[in-house]
Amino acid sequence: MAFKALTRITLGFWPVAALFVLLLISLYLMSAATQNSQQFGMLFSSLLVINLLGLAVLIILIGANLHRLWRQYRNHVPGSRLAVRLVIMFIILALTPVSVVYYFSLQFLQHGIDSWFDVRLEKTLEDALELSRTALDAKMREYRKQTESMAKELAETPSNQASFLLNDLRERSGAAELTLLSQDGRILASSTVNPTTNLPHRPDDNILFQLRQGLTYVGLDPIGESGLYIRVALQISHADPMTESRLLQALYPVAERMSNLADSVQAGYSQYQELSYLRKPVKISFTLTLSLVLLLSLLTAVWAAFYSARRLVAPIRVLAIGTRAVASGDYNRRLPLPPNNDELSFLVQSFNDMTRKLAQARDSARESQDKVEEHRTYLATLLGRLTSGVLSLNKTMELRTANSTAGHILGVDIEQVLGQSLDIICKERPYLQHFVDILQPHVEGMEQEWREQVVLFGAGGRQILMCRGALLPGGAGQEAEHVIVFDDVTTLIQAQRDAAWGEVARRLAHEIKNPLTPIQLSAERLRHKYLKVMDPKDAEVLDRSTHTIVQQVEALKEMVKAFSEYARPPQLQLRTLDLNQLINEVIDLYRADDKAVRITTRLDPSLPHIHADPGRLRQLLHNLIKNGIEAAGGANAVAHISITSGCVQQPGFKVAEIRVCDTGPGFPGEILANIFEPYVTTKPKGTGLGLAIVKKIVEEHGGVVWADNPREGGACIVICFPVDSDLTEGHTHALANHHTAEAGGKQ
Amino acid sequence: MGLMLAYLPVGFTTASVQAEGIEINNVETRLVENVYWLNADIDFNFSNKTLDALKNGVPITIELNIVVSRHRDYLWDETIATLQQRYQLQYHALTKQYLLKNLNSTSIQSHSSLKTALAALGNIINFPLLDKNLLEDHQQYSARMRASVDVEALPVPLRLLAYITSGWRLSSEWYEWPLKH
Repeated sequence: MAFKALTRITLGFWPVAALFVLLLISLYLMSAATQNSQQFGMLFSSLLVINLLGLAVLIILIGANLHRLWRQYRNHVPGSRLAVRLVIMFIILALTPVSVVYYFSLQFLQHGIDSWFDVRLEKTLEDALELSRTALDAKMREYRKQTESMAKELAETPSNQASFLLNDLRERSGAAELTLLSQDGRILASSTVNPTTNLPHRPDDNILFQLRQGLTYVGLDPIGESGLYIRVALQISHADPMTESRLLQALYPVAERMSNLADSVQAGYSQYQELSYLRKPVKISFTLTLSLVLLLSLLTAVWAAFYSARRLVAPIRVLAIGTRAVASGDYNRRLPLPPNNDELSFLVQSFNDMTRKLAQARDSARESQDKVEEHRTYLATLLGRLTSGVLSLNKTMELRTANSTAGHILGVDIEQVLGQSLDIICKERPYLQHFVDILQPHVEGMEQEWREQVVLFGAGGRQILMCRGALLPGGAGQEAEHVIVFDDVTTLIQAQRDAAWGEVARRLAHEIKNPLTPIQLSAERLRHKYLKVMDPKDAEVLDRSTHTIVQQVEALKEMVKAFSEYARPPQLQLRTLDLNQLINEVIDLYRADDKAVRITTRLDPSLPHIHADPGRLRQLLHNLIKNGIEAAGGANAVAHISITSGCVQQPGFKVAEIRVCDTGPGFPGEILANIFEPYVTTKPKGTGLGLAIVKKIVEEHGGVVWADNPREGGACIVICFPVDSDLTEGHTHALANHHTAEAGGKQ
Repeated sequence: MGLMLAYLPVGFTTASVQAEGIEINNVETRLVENVYWLNADIDFNFSNKTLDALKNGVPITIELNIVVSRHRDYLWDETIATLQQRYQLQYHALTKQYLLKNLNSTSIQSHSSLKTALAALGNIINFPLLDKNLLEDHQQYSARMRASVDVEALPVPLRLLAYITSGWRLSSEWYEWPLKH
């Protein structure tokens, strides 16, 4: 509190202005006192002390200001540099004229005072004084003679009659006072013109001493207020040496006019003498007063420099602080308006307007950003919940957006590959190449809408993807994007196909298998009933016909049974098994009982175990071996079949591959594409379901199969089973998780 | 210096041998008809500067300060009365006299030499000091006196010099004596 009050006093304008005015008044009084004014002469010393104290206070104020400014300058307070420059400028502006004025004033003062005094004037005054004395001397000589004659008269008069004579003598001589004294200065008798006045004016010891020596004293005496007197004193000499000698003193008034003139000369001389004597002290006093006035002006100017610099810089400092705040992102700061309505105030006002608008703009930007973010989150949630994969690509096949389902389906960690070109993504994951090959022409051709089905064999095994693409119209300045929505329809198609074949099988059972038994029974009954009673010729025809019917019906039954077996939904009993061991077990059966078949194997011992149904795989192998024998075998020829197993490793997934090749004629080119469809066969005999069942089993295990005619001849069936993948439902999931774990490990 | 001495009256040359300053040699009080009367003997030996100023027409004011106080055991002494006598000494160039003016009574004495003027100033006879009725019985009283040159009465330009240079502020020590009942 006290500190605040002190700060207000040291920094406030009015206290210092009041101090300045007080000091000015005090200096004025001091200056008046210096000029010997009677009024203020008494106050001179105290005024001097007051002024010195006032100046000390000003110096302290300036010191406080200086310290404050220095501290601000050192701490790099905004505006302090400008304040320092302003203060220095103001001080120089004030100091220069003040110094010049001071110098010349001092010169004038010295010469001015010296010019008062003049040797001729001094001489004149001395002459005037001497003249006055000379003028009075004549009177004095006259009075001396007069007094000497009075003394003679008194010498002859006895002491007891002296007082009467004194009166008489005084009246005759025109003296103002006549006094008769003893040798030691006692007054014996006195006569005065004005008896009411004080005691007779006794001569001082010096005169008495002189008189006792027998000398006569004649002198001018300024007695009291009554002007000049001529004093004549002498010893009354007696004829009788025994009589004690007495002293006579006479005071004669000087004529009034003369007295006045003599007084005037005395006063003038005395004043000049005093002034001349005081010349040096007067100079010092004037110089002191002048110095104090200038010092006061200068110190006040310096203080005013600090004050105005502070006032000028204050709004700039506020602006600097505000600008820093804005630079650091604080738009809510409002600057206080300076009290003066000037350009700086306008600047501060504009600054406030600017920050308010900035804050508004920032708020609205943040709001819309929030909205966009909300929208984006909403879309991301929506996309994430979709069971379809969604991708968006720009014209250069760069992946812009993708949902997590797309990642699951493609076996890719979406977060890692976002923003990359699909070509680069494919380099690491070659199994996607087919997918990209199909997308590319549509995307690069800027097709409005398209649909494609893509078959992939990747980490999750064989996948059939249904892709739909559309061109998104780009907004202003935005490039057009392709959005691709795809579904993994593998299981859907499988289920559809299974359902279709199941339906066929059911129909066959109903429509074909059911009438077969009555047909067979009827044919056997015909034979049984009429074979014995018919003539041998007809009997032979009947026998042959019924035999054919029964045989063909039996064949039809077999066919329907086989077909229904094919169409039956799989009841897989998966377990981990060694594929090589299984192959060997199956081959052993053929080696044992058939010499017409030669089977060679080249099995990879490092082949990993897979999850599979061993029964179904045996059936698969049997079908393939039988197929090979049937294709390569024939009249006296030895069927030569080779079985190869191996592990194929690609980035992202691993498969176990089995190749079964024969030395037959190979697949005809025209049916190679649909060799695995039911009832597509090159053989005269057979159900036409062998390879279809193979394909079905492979697909049940999530694998792929294809047919090939190698260059060295024969036919080759290649089967790939995914390794380490759970073939039950959700296997793609497991694979995707596996991928994610790998990605996490890399990070 | 020799020139300056030539201007000075004869009395001064003998006085200047003594140390400059003011000294109170003796003060005595007599009780006559219930009034204390004071006699004092004071030596005034002005400095050269003061004499020079006097010779050049500057009036010199001399103060006599007398304080009567009652002694108290446990507190500072109580002041009963203070008296001040002021005299002005001035040189009259026309008559070559030294005028001694009592500023309290405005009576003027003229002296033909400085010596007699100072002697008159220093010889105080039968100055009425105090009425005895102002004092109580069974109490101890004392008086003290000091004589000094009043610097504040000097002309203004000289005052500053008088404060900052030596030889102007002439003053005696306090001379204290008991007041007997």
